[in-house]
Formats: sequence, C-alpha cells, structure tokens
Amino acid sequence: MSAAPGHAHPRIDMIGNTERALQDRALQDALGRALPVFRDLRIAVAAEVPDWEVLCDTAARIKDHVLAHLDTYLIELEAQLAALGGAVHWASDAADARRIITDLARVRGVRRVVKSKSMTTEEIHLNPALEAAGITVVETDLGEFVVQLAGDAPSHIIAPIIHKSAATVADLFAQKLGVPHYERPEDLARVARQTLRAQFLAADMGITGVNFAVAETGTLVVVENEGNARLTMTRPRIHVAVMGIEKVVPRLADLGVFLRLLARSATGQRASVYASLVTGPRRTGETDGPEEMHLVILDNGRTRVLADPELREVLRCIRCGACLNVCPVFERVGGHAYESEYSGPIGAVITPALRGLEHAGELPFASTLCGACLEVCPVKIDLPRMLLELRGRAVRAGLTGRMDRLFAQAWTFVMGSPGRLRLLGGLGRLLQRPFVRRGKIDRLPYPFNGWTAHRTAPPLAAAPFRTWWKSRRSASPQGVPRERETR
Amino acid sequence: MSRDALLARIRAASPGAATVGGLPSARDARPAPPELPALPAPQAFDDPVGLFIDRARDLGAGVERVASVQEAAEWTAAWVRRRGLRRVAVWETPDLAPVLDGLRAEGIDILGPGSPVETLAQADAGVTGAEWGIAETATLALASGRPQPRLVSLLPPVHLAILRADRIVADLHAFFVRCGALPSSLTLITGPSRSADIGSVLVLGAHGPTEVLILLIGR
Repeated sequence: MSAAPGHAHPRIDMIGNTERALQDRALQDALGRALPVFRDLRIAVAAEVPDWEVLCDTAARIKDHVLAHLDTYLIELEAQLAALGGAVHWASDAADARRIITDLARVRGVRRVVKSKSMTTEEIHLNPALEAAGITVVETDLGEFVVQLAGDAPSHIIAPIIHKSAATVADLFAQKLGVPHYERPEDLARVARQTLRAQFLAADMGITGVNFAVAETGTLVVVENEGNARLTMTRPRIHVAVMGIEKVVPRLADLGVFLRLLARSATGQRASVYASLVTGPRRTGETDGPEEMHLVILDNGRTRVLADPELREVLRCIRCGACLNVCPVFERVGGHAYESEYSGPIGAVITPALRGLEHAGELPFASTLCGACLEVCPVKIDLPRMLLELRGRAVRAGLTGRMDRLFAQAWTFVMGSPGRLRLLGGLGRLLQRPFVRRGKIDRLPYPFNGWTAHRTAPPLAAAPFRTWWKSRRSASPQGVPRERETR
Repeated sequence: MSRDALLARIRAASPGAATVGGLPSARDARPAPPELPALPAPQAFDDPVGLFIDRARDLGAGVERVASVQEAAEWTAAWVRRRGLRRVAVWETPDLAPVLDGLRAEGIDILGPGSPVETLAQADAGVTGAEWGIAETATLALASGRPQPRLVSLLPPVHLAILRADRIVADLHAFFVRCGALPSSLTLITGPSRSADIGSVLVLGAHGPTEVLILLIGR
C-alpha cells in the first residue's frame, strides 16, 4: 500500500501509547465503568429483535451490493440532490475536502460555523483549516464541545469524552467559561446548552456528517441523541454535509434495516432520539431549514480499500462503535492509543487500510483475536480475519521488528519437527530454573524481558505433555484413543 | 480531482463494475455481485398502541389519551393553564386548528410559523402534530412544511406532540412502506433529547426538549 495522498501521517506508536495508557488510573476507571454498561444495554435490546441475525445479514448484503455498484448509486444520489436544489462536491482526499468547504464558506462570507459530531470531518482535520481562514468553528455535541474547549481529541466513536470524568469537565468549564465549579453532569450540560444556543443563533453555516444517504430520494440521514445536529442543519442558512463514498444506500426503505441496527448496537437504545431525514434545502414558503445544501462526497483512501478484496468489507461499517465496547484491548488502552479518529478493532483495520500500513503497522497487532468484535458487528465485518491479513502484510513488508521476525523463524523451525520441540522443551526446563519464583516466572532477561514486563508466565511443566499422555494411556487403555506413531 | 476522475477511480475499484471505459473487462468473469436483498416484513404486534405507550414511558416521555380532536383541544388548554405556560410555539396545520383555537382562548402568546427564532427560543412549549407513530420504538414522525416549522419541536423545553392512535404502525419497515412522498425534513423523534457524554451519566434535555408529551387521539 502507498501513503494516503495529500496528507502526511506520522507513524503510530501503539506500543508506547499502550504503556502510557496502562499507567493512567483515571482512564482505566472511566473505561471500566462505561463500557460494561454499553455492552449490557446492547445485549438487552438486540435480544428483543427476534430476527437480529437475519437483520444483520440483510444489512451486510445491502452494503455489499452498494459497494459493487458504488458509482451507479452515487450518480443517482447526485442527480436526486441536484433536482432538489442541493449541490454535490467530489473530494478525492482530505486536502481536497478542506479546500472545497473552506472555499464554500469564504465565498459566502461565512464568519461562524457550528458543527455536529462527525468522524469524517475529524478524519479530514477540517477545523484547523476553517480557523486558518479566519472562520470561528464551534463543536456542538456535548462531548465534542468539551474536546474542543480542552484542545483534546475524541476517544470513542460515539462517546468522545469517555476518558474524562465529570470533575475534569467541571474544572474545564470553570476555567474556560467562567462559570461556578458545577459537579453534577446535568448542571454542566445546562451550561453547555446555554453557551451553545447563542452559537446556533449566530452561525451562518452548519456542518454535519451523514449516517446514510438514500440514492433514490436524495435524502441525507443524520442520527443523534442531543438535538445539536438538528439545530446545526436547521438554523444556519447553509448546510454542508460531509460523507465517505460508502455511506450511500439504494432505497429509502433500507433505512428501516440500518436504523433498527444502529442505535441498538451503538448505545443500546431501541432508537436514537433523533433521526433527521433531510431531502434538499428549505422549500418555498417554509420558515426554517437551510437555504443552501451542499454534500461533499469524500474518497480519502476509500477506493484503495474498495479495490482490495481482502479488506473491502470494512466499508460496510456504519460507525456504531459496538466493536470498541467489547474489545479487551480497547477497554485497557482507550481510543487515544490508536492515534486516529477510528479506534478499537475497526480502527486497527480501517486506519492502516486508509492511511497505508507503513503508518499504522502496529495497529493490527493490538488485538487478542478473541472474536468479540465480529460477534457484535451489525454488518458482520470479519475484523479478526482482516487483522490477521494485515499482520501478514506487515510481516511481508518488513514492518515488524527484527526480533519478532527472528522469533517467528525460530518458532517455525522448532515446530517443524517433534524432535526439535522435545529438545527445546528439555532445554527450557533446564534454563528456566533460576527464573522460577513461587511457581511463576515474573522476570526474564533480554531479549525475553518484553514478555514478562506486564505479566507472569507459568513455568514449563516438570514433564512434557507427551510423557503425561503416554502414562495416561498405559493407565487406562480404553479411555483414550491409541496413538499412531508416525515415525 | 474532478468528479469524473473520482467516479472513474470508484468504477475501477468496484468489484461489480462490468465495464471499464465502455469496454467489457476481465471482471466479467467474476461471480456476479450480490443482488439487493428483500427487506424484512413488518412485525405483527398484538397491541401496537399499547406497546407504543409502554415504550414511550420507558423513555421518560409522557402519554395522555383522549377520544377526539375536540377533547384534545380541551386537554391542551387545561394543560397550558395547569402548567402556567405563557408562550407556546405551534404548528398551524388544519388538523390542529381546534387545539389552536383552544389555546387562543386562553389568552397566551401563540408563536406561529414565521416567528423570529429568538422569540421561538423563549417559548415555554412547542405544540406539533406527528404524522405517524412507530410502536416498536415509541418514535414520532414529524414532517416539515409551510405551517410546520422544524424548530417548534426542538427549541422549547417542552414538546407536546399530538398523534392519532390509528396512525401508529408496527416498526420502521411498516413506516417506510406507508410514508409516501418525503418533505424537506422528516424527523423521527424517540423520547426527550439526551446525552450521557459527561461522566457517562444520562442527562435529559441536552439541546432539545427535556420533556416530550404525546397526546394520543382515539383508541
């Protein structure tokens, strides 16, 4: 894979980030509290749907069909939106998208922009570009507002400040907004609501993402709980929506499938509080709604993923975040460790896929391959398979460490013959002796020290399995099948 | 990059693209891409109205029942009086005419379509009529239009939605079969505005109404 065009990414230091995250008590507490709640809620509402698996399967097949005919559906969407008086802009990469949106704002004399939460606009780093053009940008999702005030980055697809406590937010609001030190989340939410109301009323442009775009009707769908996206798309005179090429669905009725899956998978709600289906700008005689509507359709590496038969399936993703909530690695390290707006198992695949493996070679290794992500995915993306695929590619591209390769080669050699395995076992039992303390190995010398840095290893058993097996067989000849000696 | 260049890139990457540049390509030999699957049939609930009410209350939305539009008008007037509401934003659809007459008789401030948004933001409540209800999720479907400003269900702290019980369908599959031509904005509303962003604690009334009341007409 080559680098994503137009935007240089530094290499992601997943291992270093993990070390730091594991030391962060507050992060560990916050994730440990929030994620089990998400998981339990999801299980309860998914169980209510009698044909959950059929629904997931239908969603996956609709997405696969769209991906096979993406050009057709995007052209249909464009034509429908144009007929309604909307405008479509095509962006090949992040820089292209930033330029399109900044130009739209500049030409129209826009001074203030309100935004609702959108992973795609995070992906293209839109805010700094608008600010550089002298435009004020305000994030209006409660979590994103906090992120912006703190100069932080979101750490979860749907819960951007899952890493922050209410007390941290209270400090931030007191410091930046000059309000008393409120402790209760409802008071903090009220402060944010009041602060942001003024912003909505003053803004000339509202920027949102898109959850789904319906080709046959030209409808854009934005799903949320707070109402800030509705305000963003309703109040300012210009609405700009940004979506990846994969967000299009063929039929209006397809939304029935996706909306039923999305909220249940994301937050464990039966439905999100608001699903806004906007079909073109304000019509004649209407007293609110945007006068202008623009849709920016973004590639930014997606066609590269589309062309890749092994990874194409990730483009089914509806950004629900269910895989984050069940991932044992995400639960320990949080979203920031992935250094991308897409974290967790989906991020470990999508970031290397979009940016290029050379920028994110460690990410596919940040998984235990336990399979929980596949189990909860509402569009059945086989993330474990793709994580393995990317690991293989990273090894073949020489992106893994020299020591890793050496170990893998040695392991292959040893496992290649029973005699060699027996020999190594005997040697290991002998060499481990000075390191076994109270029945555990908790410290090994270089180059094995990485293994014991965060965990203890059980020592090799006194007798190998083969010896145990033989003694067991002679003890009860009927109890176990006869071993076939192959050599 | 131009539109056509990007579309060409998409076409070249698509597994189902049968032709490249108008010529049959080697991709023709590949298995056909998946067809669009049939959509699930609507669910059949024994008592969709009962389910709608239960699930609305689960969400913290209030549900009141009246027999007719006339009763709805009386109920709304009494409600406004009881709550001491002084300024109410409204939709002016023909269906709601009796309700609006009742409110006018109360002598309160009525904010119809075209009211300045700053005044709308000061309203004590917004009164709308939901076109459809969806039983599975207790969702209201609100259409925008000339007499139906979008902000009435969003800016005031309380949203009263009037819905006919015979417009409650089982689920989204049933809804999309029936919903007909789309307005410029169709909003599906499920309970009061909420957020659990701060400290993972649920807060109602993040940006939209803290309170949603559904007035069901008919049995």
